[in-house]
Amino acid sequence: MSVSVAEHEHHHEMAELPYADRLRNNRLGLWLFIFSEVFLFGGLLMARFYLWRDPTTDAIIRPELSQLLGLFSTSILLLSSVSMALAEAAASRGDRRILNAGLMITAILGIVFLAVVVGLEWQGEVAPSDGAFGAVFFGMTGLHALHVLSGVILLFIIWYNSVRGKFTPERHWGVEATAIYWHFVDVAWVFFYPALYLIGEAVHIG
Amino acid sequence: MNEHRGASYRQIVIVSIVLAVLTVAEYVVALSFPSAVFLLLIALVKAAVIVQFFMHIYRLWREESH
Repeated sequence: MSVSVAEHEHHHEMAELPYADRLRNNRLGLWLFIFSEVFLFGGLLMARFYLWRDPTTDAIIRPELSQLLGLFSTSILLLSSVSMALAEAAASRGDRRILNAGLMITAILGIVFLAVVVGLEWQGEVAPSDGAFGAVFFGMTGLHALHVLSGVILLFIIWYNSVRGKFTPERHWGVEATAIYWHFVDVAWVFFYPALYLIGEAVHIG
Repeated sequence: MNEHRGASYRQIVIVSIVLAVLTVAEYVVALSFPSAVFLLLIALVKAAVIVQFFMHIYRLWREESH
């Protein structure tokens, strides 16, 4: 009972906080979450450089992946960051037409990225059973794809709320938070792309 | 208001061009003189640009007026 009363008082206090303070708290919380994610993706990146090595020379190697698909998927994700940035800028200007269009374009580009990775790249050179190559490749792209998928879901929720007029130029934390998350997913791929496709000598598997 | 909006959108376009150029540079570097350190440095610059201009990390230290 006392816990319930304490919780109620806590919620009451939070509701009474000025919006600027709540916004600052929200931002700090989201960035702390992003910081924890850096360790997750950083660990995978370390695993790639530790495990993808030539056993005789210890030189850094990589599987022979489609360069075209790698460059295409990277471009798609960068483009989606641009449309997301435009959407967020539109939210702070109260431009609902560009906000809604930007959110929808970002979501569609995210789905195209997922289709390229899951539908094409996962059916390519590397299989999950290919030892360290398979483990690292599917670990990195799989975890990243999961983040893209959750970002797409967030984008659709935010788009739905935006269409219903839930955001104003002064209050659009939902858009800002989704944008920060989406750009972080892009940042992770900024490191994954050279690590998977460009660094080291390409070796043929199988 | 329109001037402000134009400035913000213009900044996004400029940042996009920078990111596109860096991505192409990354690809060319990998083809011509593949250096892991250099490629990771380019990735670091791209990430810094996104964190600063798209993720607006500086807002963490900024006082909100509303």
